[in-house]
Order: sequence, then C-alpha cells, then structure tokens
Amino acid sequence: MEIVYYIILIPMVYVAFAVFFVGTGVRLVKLFREPRNPTTLQIFPDKRPRWMWALHDTFLLPTVRRHNPIFWVFLMLFHISFLLLIIGHLELIGDFRIFQIVQHEVFLGNGFVGLILSISLLFFLFRRFASPNRDLSVPEDYYLLILLFLTVFFGSQMDWARRWYDYGNLSVVEYREYLSSLLYLKPHLSPDLTSSGHSFMLVLHVFFANLFLMFFPFSQIMHSFLSLPMNKLRRG
Amino acid sequence: MSEDIKVDKVMDLKGMPCPMPIVKVSKGIKDVEVGQVIEAITTDPGALADFPAWAKTSGNEILKTDQQEDLIKFYIERKA
Amino acid sequence: MDQKTRDELLKLFQGKLNEAMKFYLETCTRCGVCTEACHVYASMGQIKYIAAYRHEIVRRIYKKYFKGRGKIWPSVGEARELSEMALEELYEAAYSCTGCRRCMVYCPFGIDTQMIMSIAKLLLIGAHTEPEILTLLADTSVEKGKSLELFKEGFLTGIKNLEKEVVKKWKIEAGETAIPVDVDGADLLYVALAGAHSIVPAAAIFNAAGENWTLSFFEAVNFGAFVGDPTKTKLILDRIVKEAKRLKVKEVCICECGTAFRVMKQLSGKQPFEVSSITEVHSRYLREGRIKVDKSKFKEPITYHDPCQIARNGGVIDEPRYILNRLSDDFREMSPEPKYNWCCGGGGGLVALGEDNLDFRMKSAKVKADQVQETGAKILTTACENCHTQLSDLNSHYEMGVEVKFLSSMVADALMQ
Repeated sequence: MEIVYYIILIPMVYVAFAVFFVGTGVRLVKLFREPRNPTTLQIFPDKRPRWMWALHDTFLLPTVRRHNPIFWVFLMLFHISFLLLIIGHLELIGDFRIFQIVQHEVFLGNGFVGLILSISLLFFLFRRFASPNRDLSVPEDYYLLILLFLTVFFGSQMDWARRWYDYGNLSVVEYREYLSSLLYLKPHLSPDLTSSGHSFMLVLHVFFANLFLMFFPFSQIMHSFLSLPMNKLRRG
Repeated sequence: MSEDIKVDKVMDLKGMPCPMPIVKVSKGIKDVEVGQVIEAITTDPGALADFPAWAKTSGNEILKTDQQEDLIKFYIERKA
Repeated sequence: MDQKTRDELLKLFQGKLNEAMKFYLETCTRCGVCTEACHVYASMGQIKYIAAYRHEIVRRIYKKYFKGRGKIWPSVGEARELSEMALEELYEAAYSCTGCRRCMVYCPFGIDTQMIMSIAKLLLIGAHTEPEILTLLADTSVEKGKSLELFKEGFLTGIKNLEKEVVKKWKIEAGETAIPVDVDGADLLYVALAGAHSIVPAAAIFNAAGENWTLSFFEAVNFGAFVGDPTKTKLILDRIVKEAKRLKVKEVCICECGTAFRVMKQLSGKQPFEVSSITEVHSRYLREGRIKVDKSKFKEPITYHDPCQIARNGGVIDEPRYILNRLSDDFREMSPEPKYNWCCGGGGGLVALGEDNLDFRMKSAKVKADQVQETGAKILTTACENCHTQLSDLNSHYEMGVEVKFLSSMVADALMQ
C-alpha cells in the first residue's frame, strides 16, 4: 500500500503537472500560430470598447444568464468557487499576504467552497441525464464532471473533517510540508501524512486531481484559455 | 411560338426571384428528351447573360433568343 | 469510401482549420444553451437540429483525424470515421442550417455554427454529394464572368428595354439615361440581381437622388458562398472588385441580397471603394434630404424582417428602421432585439433548392410565421431576395395574409417628384 501512496503522491504528481503545463503550453502556442480567419466573425450591433464587452461576455456569461438563469447561477458559483479553490491551494504551499487582505483561516471558505463546488458539479452532471443535453453529451463530458466531482469531493472531505467533525489529525501544517517539499523538488512524505486514518482521502484527492490535470490540455476544459479570444472574435 | 423551331415544352418564368429561372429551367430540361426543345419565357434582363452561361455550363444549347419589348424568349435544346 | 477519397477529403478539412475554426472545434462543452436558438429546432423539436449537435457531426471527424486523442482514445469524444454514412449526416446538418448565426448569440463562447458547417459543405463538394443545382448556379455564374463579351450585347438591350419602367417611377430630364451602364468615373456602382425587380426601383431612386451611378454587368449574389466553395466564391467576388476598380467608383452598393452584401463587405478586403447595402444608401438619401417619400402611401401596419446576413451578421440594423419610420407611422418591431430575430428559414442556399425542400423550409420556419403574425402587420417588408422568396412561400403556406414587399420598392413607390 505504501508504494501505491508513494507513486500517487509524488511521481504521479510530477508527471501530471508536466503534462498539464507542457500540454497546455504547446497546444496554446500551436493554436495561436494558426492563420487568422480572413473575415470578421462579429455579431452586430457593434458595441465599444469591444475588448471590454469581450471581457464582460467571458466572465459574466450574459448569454447563459438570459437563456438559462438557473444554470447561470450554478456556473457562476462554480467558477468563482474554482478561483477561490486555486487561491486556497496556493495558501497550502505558503503564506501570500495579498490573499489575506480579507482575513481568513487556511483553507479558505470554512468548507463551503468545496460544498458549493460539489453541489454545482452534481447539478452539471445530473442536467446531462435529461434530454436534450443527454443527446448532446459525449463520454468526455461525463468523465470530466465525474473526475472533477471525485477530486473536489475527496478534497473537501479533508477540509470538512477538520472543520465540521473535529478530526484534526491532518492539518494545514502537514499539507504545507508535503506541498512545499514537492515544489522545492525535495519530495518527502511524513508518516503523519500517510498513516492517518484520513490519508486515503488525500491520496484519492491527489489521484483524481492528477488524472484531471493530465486530461485538461486535451479536453474542452481548454475553454479556460480560449473563451476570451473566442468572445473577442464575436465582439469583432 | 417561333415558326422554324418545334417546341416541346413551354416554361413561364416571368418575374421570378433570383435564382429561380435557372433553377426551374435546369429541372425542366430533364423533363424533355435529348433533342427536344424548351421555350423559356422571362422578363429578367439578367437572364440574357444567365441563360447562355447556364447553357454552356450544363451542356445544352440555346437555339434562339427572341427579345421583345417586355419579354425574352429562349429556345433551348436538350443536348445531354 | 476508399482510402484515396478519404485522404482527399481530409486534405480539404485540413485546409479549413485556421485559428478561429480550431477554437470552435476544441471548445464546445455541449452545455446546451444553444438548444433554443435554432429556428429549425424551435419549429420541429428534433435533437439533430440543435446547434451543438450539428457541430458534433463535424467535430467527431475532427476528433478522429486531427486530435491525438482520436488515435489513442477515440471513444472518449465519440470520434467517428469519415464514411459514406458520415457524409449523409454532414449533408443533413449542413443543408438544414441556414447559416443565420442566431445560435452564436446564445453560445457562451460564441461558436460560429455557420463556419463549422462550411467544413461540412466543403467535404460534400469534395465527395460530389452537394446539391447539384447549387454547383450549377455557381458554375453558371463563374462562366458568365469568363465570357462577358459574349453576353454584353444582349444584356445591354435587356437593360434598355427596362428604362421606360424606371421612368414611370421617376421622370428624368431629356438626354439623361435612366439606367447608366459602364460609366467610367461614376461615384457609385450598383450591383443588382438578374431580375427587373432588383433594378427598376433602385434605378428610380438613384435618379431621384441625383446620384452619379452605374449599373454593374454582374449580378451580386454569390452562389459560390451558397454551396460553400471558397475558390468560386472568390472568383465571383473578384470580378465585381475588378469592375469597381476599372470604373474608379467610390462606392459599391449591393442590392437586396444578404449573401452578396456580407461576402462583398467582409471578404473583399481593403479596397479603394466603400461597400454599402442599398438600405444604407437609401437611408442616407433620406437623411440628407436627397429624396423625399410620401408617408400616406402605405396606410397599413408594417413589420420588417431583418435578413440575418445584413443585420446580425452585417451590422445594418438602424438604417431600415430609419427608412420605415419615414414611410409609416405604424412600424412594428418583430423581435425585441434585432439580433434575436428568427431566420426566415431560407438562407444558406436552401431557397435555391426550390421545390425539393419546400416542405422542410415551411415546417422549419413555423416560428418565423408565428413571429410575423404576432405583430399584426399587414405589410411584411425585407431587404433580401432570399428572405423575400422564403417569406412569400411562408405567406401562402401558413395563409398569413400579409403582403411581402422589398423595402427598396416601397421607397421607390413612395418617391415624391
């Protein structure tokens, strides 16, 4: 079992991040080096400044708000929580004064960030079970949602365990030690991290996160980077 | 009807919107046998360029173009 | 399908993959927000008409041949082989899509379905399974440009015969030409369609405005664009550009034809002339007081159908409204926002297929008919030949009891001497 823990928590993490960064980088460079479309792809009426409207479309999803308000609420909750999640994880590596402008305890959100993400992901998943979304969906849509749900759910468990049901054996101190050891390329697994009763949560969380990161560059999640340039095309 | 050409089918294409005259005549020509003749009547000035070009593209032959004051008549022989 | 054919088709596919196209093919999350966008789906309720579903028909082939994933894990994205069956699906998707781009208004990323369908159309051409008539029309049009001298004489006589019709609408001074052709140094080159209805009212208005204009030898419509053949599209476009340059005109004015306007405006590149739609020109004449119209001419309520390629995709939105408010006190909007206007259901070459798809065109545009009827208008006007034909068909099919009119001919009919 130890060897499995080791593989998931150390080499696989490195591989996942390598695939994620190199894959995403190479794919983006290749995409942006393709020739531009010879004509405008704008939708009228024209509104200026165009780049401001493109930002508006990208981050506030006005078309979804108009045509599917409930979906929009979950999408906004999901994406905002996802951003908080990234900040939360950065704080698991070290202290960032800038994030503490709003004073909070690490991990931020009192467990609610994970809860909101989990619920949103279940919503995204279940809405695909009904027609017509079921007929539009392909396997990757389900895989990605399930993968993200599992990642978020096990990750949240670690947070919830500490906050909501008083299980304090694994704490921010252990996570920080582990994550910074990875970051400084001196990977180290303390026994506290791997022998706790809740270690399997960590291992499963990291395992699913690794899979997600490796799938990221080759999936539609690339919309994280492409949404803005695409919305700019529509705005002209 | 023209005196020296035997017409097998008459098509009235007067006042039709673009590109219906060509669409109709393309279909109509298939209703007659090879060697038979269609008389197509139109009011479109553009047809005077369209029909010869269409005939050339589709491999049919315009035997005669009869331009009257308000009407244009084409006599088209099915070749292929 | 044999390997050689497939390779050739894939080469055509590859040629369409520019930056925007790849964005569109890579990004769709199949979120389904576009579901309600398509008039065909809204009218007929079949899943295959949802924009995202149409995309997937093309995207599955993309995933198979242009993504690494298609080789190692094809099932994850349901990657599909390019086969005869796939071609049938492509046909169904491409020729039930009018390229109106209404779905682009719904999509959170702004994916352009028309552009994705252009791959389907090109593959169909490559496999010689496109609608024959569209290619014939494009070839005829190309041929016409090649042998201009052959047709010139006949065309000029035909135009001469039209002149008295023009004078009926607007009297001109003795010695003036009602329809000038081939005028070197004219200010405006008017590119019309083959039909007299596209030339006569326009000519009367140009003359009324005292425009220094000339009529093009060529027709405006670009059948190359209908069938989705980029080479022919360019050929048909280029000869108008050439004529405009030869005559040294300052403005090229495109008649009431959506495709023609959008292709000319957006594909001609930077040129020494401006491109405008006839609607823009008419609204300018009215604004500048160069023509005057009689408001009492049309007493019944009027509504206006925004042609997709001219309004949502071409940006001519305010001008027709300006004209209509000068023509009538009872102009009624069809859609609260013009960019949400339903397509007439005849775009993308569908009308040119004539009787063959009449049944589909009528069924798929039910929402359009409903939308028109809800306005209570008695006159339905538009500024596109294609839309006009389709709306007239809808009018008789659904017994809408409206009169379908071209905006330009309404202006011509209301001219005050």
